[in-house]
Amino acid sequence: MDQKELREWEAKCIQEEPPACRAGCPLNVDARAFVLSMARGDLDAARAVLEKSMPLAAVTARLCEAPCEVYCIRKDLGGAIAVGGLERLCIRETSPKGKIPRLPARPRKVAVIGSGPSSLTVAFDLARKGHPISVYHLGEKPGGWLRGLDESILPQSVLDAELQRLGSLHVTFVAVPALDAALIEAHPADAVYVGQDDTIAPDLLDLLTPPDPETMALERPGWFTGGLAGREFRFISAVSQGREAAVSIDRFLQNASLTSSRVPLRDGRTDLFTQTFGIEPVERVVPSGQGGFTRDEAVREAGRCIDCQCLECVKHCVYLAEHGGYPKSYARRVFNNSAIVQGMRQANTFINSCSMCGQCETLCPNDFSMADMCLDARREMVNLNRMPPSAHWFALEEMRSAKDAQAALIRHAPGASASDAIFFPGCQLAGIRPEQTLRLYDRLLEIEPRTGIWLDCCAAPAHWAGRQEEFVAILSEMEKIWSGMGRPMVVTACSTCLKMFREHLPAFGAVSVWTLLSESGVQASSTGRPLALSDPCTSRHDAQTRDAVRSLLARLGQPLAELPMSGELTECCGFGGLMDNANPALARKVAQARVAQSEADFLTYCAMCREQLSRTGKPVLHILDLLFPETARPAQEPPAGISARRVNRRRLKDELLARHGLDRGPKEPWEDVRLVVSGEVAAMLEERRILEDDVRRVLFAASKGGRVLRHAGDGRIIAASRLGEVTFWVEYREGEDGYEILKAWSHRMRITGGDL
Amino acid sequence: MSLVFIPEDMDWVCEPCGERLQPGKVELTYLGNAFHVELPVCPKCGAVYIYEELALGRIHEVEQLLEDK
Ligand SMILES: [Zn+2]
Repeated sequence: MDQKELREWEAKCIQEEPPACRAGCPLNVDARAFVLSMARGDLDAARAVLEKSMPLAAVTARLCEAPCEVYCIRKDLGGAIAVGGLERLCIRETSPKGKIPRLPARPRKVAVIGSGPSSLTVAFDLARKGHPISVYHLGEKPGGWLRGLDESILPQSVLDAELQRLGSLHVTFVAVPALDAALIEAHPADAVYVGQDDTIAPDLLDLLTPPDPETMALERPGWFTGGLAGREFRFISAVSQGREAAVSIDRFLQNASLTSSRVPLRDGRTDLFTQTFGIEPVERVVPSGQGGFTRDEAVREAGRCIDCQCLECVKHCVYLAEHGGYPKSYARRVFNNSAIVQGMRQANTFINSCSMCGQCETLCPNDFSMADMCLDARREMVNLNRMPPSAHWFALEEMRSAKDAQAALIRHAPGASASDAIFFPGCQLAGIRPEQTLRLYDRLLEIEPRTGIWLDCCAAPAHWAGRQEEFVAILSEMEKIWSGMGRPMVVTACSTCLKMFREHLPAFGAVSVWTLLSESGVQASSTGRPLALSDPCTSRHDAQTRDAVRSLLARLGQPLAELPMSGELTECCGFGGLMDNANPALARKVAQARVAQSEADFLTYCAMCREQLSRTGKPVLHILDLLFPETARPAQEPPAGISARRVNRRRLKDELLARHGLDRGPKEPWEDVRLVVSGEVAAMLEERRILEDDVRRVLFAASKGGRVLRHAGDGRIIAASRLGEVTFWVEYREGEDGYEILKAWSHRMRITGGDL
Repeated sequence: MSLVFIPEDMDWVCEPCGERLQPGKVELTYLGNAFHVELPVCPKCGAVYIYEELALGRIHEVEQLLEDK
């Protein structure tokens, strides 16, 4: 990912856009943070939010007309949050937070004519930046019309204290008899501000042309104004104009452009999306007394805040929630990971954990696709030879094994010399439900006798792993094989295969077996009890298949339990994108979260979903259990597991070949090594991703004169073999019924000169 | 990666050598990095024993670190 791509990804995620209230504040006060602090009862933190953005917060918070409330998303759900009322309570109940920091002194002077709110804002903002300021005011004390306010609104002592704080920032107050033209002409300042929210003499007003509305600059260089008549809000609009003028004056004094890369006022405009569906209306809290909210009332009122966030994707995705951020921050993580020259690439596992299920893209108002971002990143890692070798190793090995001579097969139907269609069950259905795969094939032969069979893997693991070169090579090989069969229509029972073929081998004209079955009738019956139908994530954009499955189920009379995240919004089982390989613990969590969404037993039409979801202990049926009741497996049946899948694929191939009077040819020499594996050891092997086939190969090598270790005390034996990139160790005893396996472990590190 | 990794139970005999394992110097490599460590080896043929706890513990850790480097 380069800088430009990072910017493009970042721009798609709107989570960092301001909430409507903040966008509606001319001072850019983070009203959401303020209200949330109030809701927690942390008034000091709330005040700190106000002081961060407000000039003279003790005055501003008391008089602010709260234009933000107009934009509040709560407005139609019980009424906007009473931000103005909360500000007043907060400022009353807390004290100022120490000294206001001032930047190093600067040489050029500023004269401020008038001492209304806009003028005081200019003085405050510029004094903090180190400019020496003189404020010219009428009357005994500065403040203009603020001096005429009732004590209940603005106590004069509060105003005095705030002006004293201004004084500590090197603001000098000068009482003058008139704010007139003579005053401005006599003053030696480098810049002048005229605050029209005070009593300006007519001769000076005559000199003022209408200012530039964005910069508040007058025609005469160095002259600025604000606090104009006709403002929407008497107080806060004046403060806003003062602030904009102060920005301009600061730029003017530094000889910088007044306009370049200036952030315009948002007037409530924001791209932040906030979902309000499901948010119950709550009425505004009405202050019990005359003087506004009590502390308790304020906390309750603040508690109505929706805490506007987008997080549409994060709310539904265990993976996105797990890593504590949101797509925009994740884009930076991916970028940093790729930019690292030396040191740890901390985001490797993060990048490899995305299931690429596409739910985020469907939920996102801007179609941010974590799948695309992570796939690009994985491809880059592979190309730069930075992909951790273990990240996708197991799935790639499984893919290669499903494609090897022991498992792969392509044949016309027995007795046929050509195929109009070819059944591609998918390597996982073949591995997990071999008998049902055969039964399904038989049904397809009834519908279309010239249906061939193709046992293979669609290469999705290579695609997900970012191994583009390998993926393309496999696809082109598959296209050749398929052409050799006379280019039959490909019928698949796996949504992933279907997606892969449609996207990468469109010539296949691939269709779902469920669509085919729904068109030709079924004889089966329902379980009677409602089942939660979990669509595989690879069917997200395949409404045709999803509808076909539902119509099949309707014809069986199978009632369905509600499962909110279904159809286009469906969730991954934890296998997609090879999440289960790179981050097995997270994949377990994803599956747990999925099955927790319904009390009902689950039903799916993806073999891998059946495998992954049933690992949680949840009863899960495959649709074939309903369609062919004579082959049904109980919903409670545990998953097949990694070892059985390998054996099942070989057996399925044997059975299909037997129909042609053929056999598989020479078996692997280790294939019939007999193992005795307890349930406990089987679970250990599964968790450590060690196949019984691996164990067989190690033991076969040992039996052929390999070196072993024998325990001098109890006779246990240890054997080891390097199989590809991994060294496998097996601890066992020799028994009557075969090898009794006690333990197995593996590592990738090599021993110079060999292992055992 | 350092240094000496010897399991509690060293009561293992190499077959067919018939020799009891003893601590010995071994070189381990992964992704172009080499480590010199002391592991149980057969004094006669030099066969090395990587015991379960070592494989799943320290070796796995170092493999992961090197893969992310
Ligand atoms: Zn030996």
